[in-house]
Amino acid sequence: MAQAVARVASSDTLASNNARSRRIVDRIATGSLWTAAGSVVALLVIFIGYLFYKGASVISWHFLFGYPSSANAGGGIGPEIFNSFYILILTLVFTLPIAVCAGMYLQEYAGPGRFRDLVQFSAESLATVPSIVMGLFGLLIFVQMFHWHFTALGGALTLTLLNLPAMMRVTQEALAGVPGTYREASMSLGATRWQTVVKVILPSAIGPLITGVVLVSGRIFGETAALIYTAGASVSFGKSAYDFNPFHTAETLAVHLYSTHREALVPDADAIGNGSALVLLVMVLLFNVVARVVGRQLTIRFTGKAS
Amino acid sequence: MVGVRANKAHRDERFALIVLVTCSGIFVVAIALILGFLAFSGTRLFFHDHVSPFEFLFSTNWDGLGGHFGAAPFIVGSLIATGFAILVGGPLGVAIGVFFSELAPKRVADAMKPAIEVLVGIPSVVYGWLGLTVLVPLIGSIFHTGGDGLLAAGIVLSIMILPTVISLSEDALRVVPDSMREGSAALGATRWETISRVLVPSAKSGLAVAVILGIARAIGETLAVQLVLGNAPVFVTSLLRPASALTSEIVMDMGDAPDGTAFQHALFSMAFLLLLIAMGLILLIRFALRKRT
Repeated sequence: MAQAVARVASSDTLASNNARSRRIVDRIATGSLWTAAGSVVALLVIFIGYLFYKGASVISWHFLFGYPSSANAGGGIGPEIFNSFYILILTLVFTLPIAVCAGMYLQEYAGPGRFRDLVQFSAESLATVPSIVMGLFGLLIFVQMFHWHFTALGGALTLTLLNLPAMMRVTQEALAGVPGTYREASMSLGATRWQTVVKVILPSAIGPLITGVVLVSGRIFGETAALIYTAGASVSFGKSAYDFNPFHTAETLAVHLYSTHREALVPDADAIGNGSALVLLVMVLLFNVVARVVGRQLTIRFTGKAS
Repeated sequence: MVGVRANKAHRDERFALIVLVTCSGIFVVAIALILGFLAFSGTRLFFHDHVSPFEFLFSTNWDGLGGHFGAAPFIVGSLIATGFAILVGGPLGVAIGVFFSELAPKRVADAMKPAIEVLVGIPSVVYGWLGLTVLVPLIGSIFHTGGDGLLAAGIVLSIMILPTVISLSEDALRVVPDSMREGSAALGATRWETISRVLVPSAKSGLAVAVILGIARAIGETLAVQLVLGNAPVFVTSLLRPASALTSEIVMDMGDAPDGTAFQHALFSMAFLLLLIAMGLILLIRFALRKRT
């Protein structure tokens, strides 16, 4: 590290006395970094503006709650929105207990050792498995091996595998934010480790934990590639397209955006695409806002301080 | 009475530990199953259908229903799109990471962070849709082509890897101790000299990790790429012609490939190849971080 500082001292630019050109270079670099950062924000503003501009006119009561159409114009996305939430909730039911427990174990229990390294390495590996590859794994297991065909449950279990590492990380980070003195105080009062974790640490960490969980949920909501060949690209053919049966096919909104474009059987495929893209974007924005607001409220309620 | 309660607490403690260890073990079992199943299904093409691995890796002749399984066009397509994304998005992401860590006043950073998080949250299919409806026509009108191809895919991927690269490079720079900044400033270095000669070299393994995770995100990206590539299963001759990548070809063909056929096995081989690349990148990160300590 000290070498790097020495590099500055010995550099010829510094030795020579052209302080002015060095200042100019510094100004240019500073300006470029501001521009780079600003351009990304500008890009996001353009994205949001464009999607609203193109999609707003498509949005109507009928579009948001109506049934999709297979051949005619005027199809809605009601069942798709329902399926997105349904698969999200199923996914959370599986993901949360496993990931929170694993996060608690790694953060509060495990000392350095082989098992911890192995879990950590597995989580990192799991986190880099591409979504489409996870989708094919889901296809192998749930569709081909279990003969479930395309199902909401198969899709949710595939998404569980995909999102376990992110949820575990969120848990670890939330727990890591709790000061060590809380643990010491609790244990010195005679609490066991488990009592400490459940009654002291978890409530103190609840704000950041929920913030993280909601942000990851936003990503689950928009997941596509892993679902096309596990939950399917069509809505349920049961009694109603709003179908709670986890063993029926369940096309989510994100998959719908893809399949409408690919099949393009309806004349208004572009309009449906624009509308679906806008709804997906608004959901992402909502998840972000909710994450912040709820996280802050819970932190205030459980720890009595605003953070 | 106290004894009974202490006993119960002790039992709870043991039970809790079993549950927590089991949940942690699920991670290990999950990745082992994924590797195992994809290794099996991904090599059926070679062991069961007797297609040579060399044909799969190096032949450019792809005709899934006709029995030709040369995946070279997709491998090259994936590599070019990813390479483009890293060349554009990598330096840009690191620069913005530097901005957040070294330049941004707290108020500006607080205002911009949520924007980065929204960029992470936007589903890849929406990026693809934006690429398809904005970028592809734009490229088409500039170069008088259809507009879809590896250039469009590369640009979309450059934007998509930004959040990953930005936040990880920022983290990497933040762990450089302030004494380095102070030492450099005390020697009369300007801020840019401190950044380029002290901070970036000191954080280089962390920055490498940021870029490698960017590569991992880009190479596995499916729908954003599929929607703008044009999906022609031919060897790439121009960044402006329709092309295909490993991920996009899997998603295009999987619906048409009947179970148990060599065609489907070839698609699983492509998925297995993607998995091997991802695992390779993880090992590379381990290596980069081990060298630092």
